[in-house]
Amino acid sequence: MTAAATLPGPAAAPHTSLHRMVTTMRVHASNPWTILATPWLVLFAVFALNYAIWQLVKMAATGPLAPGAFTQNGGVSYVLVYMVVVAVQAMNQTFSFVVGLGATRRDYFLGTSLVFGALSLVFGAGISLLAWVERATDGWGIGGAFFAPWGLRTLPIWQLVVIYTSLLLLMFFGGSAVAALFVRWGANGIIAFFIGLALVIVATLYGITVTESWQAVGDFFTRNSAVVLAAYTLPISAAAGVLGWLLMRRATPKG
Amino acid sequence: MTAVIEVSGLTRHYGKVKAVQDVSFQVEEGSICGLLGRNGAGKTTVMRLITGQAFASAGNIRVFGENPVENAEVLARTCFVRESQIYPDSFRGKHVLRAAAHLFPNWDADYAARLVDEFRVPLDRRMKKMSRGQRSAVGVIVGLASRAELTLLDEPYAGLDAVARQLFYDHLLADYSENPRTIILSTHLIDEASKLLNHVLVVDGGELLIDAEAEDLRGTAVTLVGGHSAVEQFAAGRETLGWDSVGGISSVTLTGLSDADKAAALAAGLELAPVSLQQLIVSRTRGTIQPEEATS
Repeated sequence: MTAAATLPGPAAAPHTSLHRMVTTMRVHASNPWTILATPWLVLFAVFALNYAIWQLVKMAATGPLAPGAFTQNGGVSYVLVYMVVVAVQAMNQTFSFVVGLGATRRDYFLGTSLVFGALSLVFGAGISLLAWVERATDGWGIGGAFFAPWGLRTLPIWQLVVIYTSLLLLMFFGGSAVAALFVRWGANGIIAFFIGLALVIVATLYGITVTESWQAVGDFFTRNSAVVLAAYTLPISAAAGVLGWLLMRRATPKG
Repeated sequence: MTAVIEVSGLTRHYGKVKAVQDVSFQVEEGSICGLLGRNGAGKTTVMRLITGQAFASAGNIRVFGENPVENAEVLARTCFVRESQIYPDSFRGKHVLRAAAHLFPNWDADYAARLVDEFRVPLDRRMKKMSRGQRSAVGVIVGLASRAELTLLDEPYAGLDAVARQLFYDHLLADYSENPRTIILSTHLIDEASKLLNHVLVVDGGELLIDAEAEDLRGTAVTLVGGHSAVEQFAAGRETLGWDSVGGISSVTLTGLSDADKAAALAAGLELAPVSLQQLIVSRTRGTIQPEEATS
């Protein structure tokens, strides 16, 4: 063994901030199943079940089915819920593990945000790719729409990428902000948040009613396409990300 | 000698609870320092403050001369392993070691693999399904194989069997002599660990009670056993840590005896028994003392 190896010092490895963020990403990937394999496997299982039910319905039906009978499906939203759980786990358990072992909160949060961004892109693009296959195969040969159901059926693929990626970002950063409330203030933080959220929603509804703006609100949602509405979630996700960081920078790892 | 850790006036309150109260000490480079005390004495909080995981209410901490809070340079040279470490639900033993390999710049993967064999850790088992001892073994492996310049081990062998504990002591000493570093060890098994320690910090009720070289501390107290009147006569006017009396035989534990004092005690017909580090600490943290078997 060399002297440098027996007397480890700060010069042993140049650790830049970028390097440390990448380290956090690799720690997340230490168990790639949770964030990469499991969500796809479950999504495929949900799809397989839906496909089987479509076939059942088709076999059982006595007459021709209404056009678009198999296009109203919410199975793909499972991925959104799954990613909320991933975000909550990241703020609770993974934070306590990684910061507990000596990473800074800053490097953890930035590295985790990069993981969230990368996962949003991977799943946003992946689901859109499957939607493209779905269209190319005439709805898996049965006129079904699973990966781009409802109004998404007719949108260009690139818009699907934007919509899914934006929604996933909202799930990740919204989920982590709420989880950060729990990390800092426990159940009371969550209760206060949802009471506050309910107040904000009621106040907004009240304001819209009093100012007789329901027409304008309705117009906003009909005038703007789905992809524009999805883009409107980006500043909300960014704000949730900043809020999450402000909370986590003073958080103490559990255990 | 340079101080790796310098702590002055360190205080941490949780609401009305004073977890750490005005604590000041230094830990020298290359020492194996025991951080001892009863449950809830503040040992873990002190370690969390040193590693920047908890925030001080008042006071000053310097680790490698810098404030450890959010200090990546300091934390990269530090490894903190604690019994109650949280692991992600989905993590198996192998995931923990993989993550540790990324987090610690001096990680020795071969050494970690050897330790896994010796401690018989089931790496494919989920952390939350492991027994307490197996989880502790994973922590011990991370603590040793990280080869961090400053390694803090908080109750590292809770639930480990006697063989595994001996393995830990042996590996700690062997690896310490090959790769010198500074180690802070908190434990309840004071007598077992006492031969490892060269410095001792004792906290009680959040306050620092003892800050001494282990060698000095061992010599400070002695138990005298003999006839009631002889013991009482000898102990008069001296600092006593504990009294015990059965029939006509009494024992008293005293501190601050010189060699001449000990000779005088022997001459007075009293038996001298050494006081172990554990007994000393028990008595100093307001317990009662049980004299060890008398040796004349």
